[in-house]
Amino acid sequence: MSAQEPDLKAYVSILEQTLATAKEQLIEAHHMISVGMLLAGIVHEINTPIGSIVSNNEVTARSLAILKEQLDKAQADGAPPPPKAAKILDTLINLAAVDKIACERIMSVIRSLKTFVGGKTHEFRKANLNEILQNSLKLARCEFRHRIEVETEFGELPEVECDAQKLGQVFLNLLVNAGQAIPEKGKVTVRSGLEDDSVVISVADTGTGVPPEQRSRIFAPGFTTKPAGVGTGLGLALSKEIVEETHGGSIGFESEVGQGTTFFVRIPVSPPPKAG
Amino acid sequence: MQREREPTVVIVDDEEMVLTSLNAFLTLETEYTVESYTDPEEALELLKKTPAEVIISDYLMPRMNGIQLLAQSRELQPEAARILLTGHADKQSAIDAINRVGLFHYVEKPWDNAALLLVIRNGIERAQLLRNLRSKIHQLDEAHANLKNAQSQLIRAFL
Ligand SMILES: Nc1ncnc2c1ncn2[C@@H]1O[C@H](COP(=O)(O)OP(=O)(O)OP(=O)(O)O)[C@@H](O)[C@H]1O
Ligand SMILES: [Mg+2]
Repeated sequence: MSAQEPDLKAYVSILEQTLATAKEQLIEAHHMISVGMLLAGIVHEINTPIGSIVSNNEVTARSLAILKEQLDKAQADGAPPPPKAAKILDTLINLAAVDKIACERIMSVIRSLKTFVGGKTHEFRKANLNEILQNSLKLARCEFRHRIEVETEFGELPEVECDAQKLGQVFLNLLVNAGQAIPEKGKVTVRSGLEDDSVVISVADTGTGVPPEQRSRIFAPGFTTKPAGVGTGLGLALSKEIVEETHGGSIGFESEVGQGTTFFVRIPVSPPPKAG
Repeated sequence: MQREREPTVVIVDDEEMVLTSLNAFLTLETEYTVESYTDPEEALELLKKTPAEVIISDYLMPRMNGIQLLAQSRELQPEAARILLTGHADKQSAIDAINRVGLFHYVEKPWDNAALLLVIRNGIERAQLLRNLRSKIHQLDEAHANLKNAQSQLIRAFL
């Protein structure tokens, strides 16, 4: 009997490890699914500036050829540059400005995307939660487009020791839920601020709300009211895990049917000793 | 046949950058009059007053989507060719629109300038043909009415 005990302990620890790995994989898989759902919006967000750049590039090449021909001819004739040349130059300057904006648009989406898929090493580091929120918002907004208006009220925040990638996933989950709770048009308000020793982030929507009889269940793994292919029912369960277990924080919500729902995430500024 | 006016192409996209790019391209390659709008309502105001041969619209825009805009412009100018320029991965909505608003063509973003120009040219040709046809029919109707009138006068003269 006593000889078996160490084995049993080893067995339990192996099980615990397996469970932890499985959880990590689940978080990762769920995250890939939610980014995948946003993909159509992201593609749209990138396609428009790319279309512009490709077109501008062709127009620029053609215009430069025409410009060169006109200037060469004027020079050969000893004439001043033709007025049309000045007009073409104006267009080119204009297009260069558009290209710059277009490239910035693409870069900003890619940058946000990178914060979500940047390797598997989840580690704690000092980060500004407003920046993480911005990245999640950037991706969610591709999907919201004109359907949902977004308002932000970000307070001044101290840097917080956290797993930025995972918190980004939590915020994205809340934003996607908010968007899905709004049937047609509506508004999502994102706030951040410092309360005592914690950063508090809230995501409020003008959606359908959570009916009272469902309120105790929404954090349960697998609970979903969405059709298959839209929801797996894991978003809030995994978010709770990340906020409470990984960061020693808390997550909660207030809701009124027909009015909307507000989710609150509280993250302590200094992580508890076990986190990390 | 009045061929005085250059063909008019109306472009509607809530993204200023798309308008700038298409405008620069069409100005360089064609003599068309290009009217561009970020606001669909303003485009409709123009279409109430000014004939256009081609109307190109983005799909996702605030206040009104491209299909709604093209449906309304069909009421205003049935002969104009309607083109949907969409960055949306959702092809089905475009295909539905082909049937619902009598779409001439749909083009995906990022678009290809040469291909787009071909579509615009064909659209202009079609619009001009349709307008010609309509004016011929109108002339025919008029001639017919005149004939009838002459006929009845003739009959009256003999009675
Ligand atoms: N903002 C909200 N407004 C109304 N109901 C909500 C909101 N957020 C969550 N819910 C309810 O809680 C349920 C569980 O949410 P959760 O994010 O865990 O899963 P899901 O969104 O259904 O699926 P997914 O795994 O894709 O996130 C939802 O199906 C929905 O019924
Ligand atoms: Mg969810």
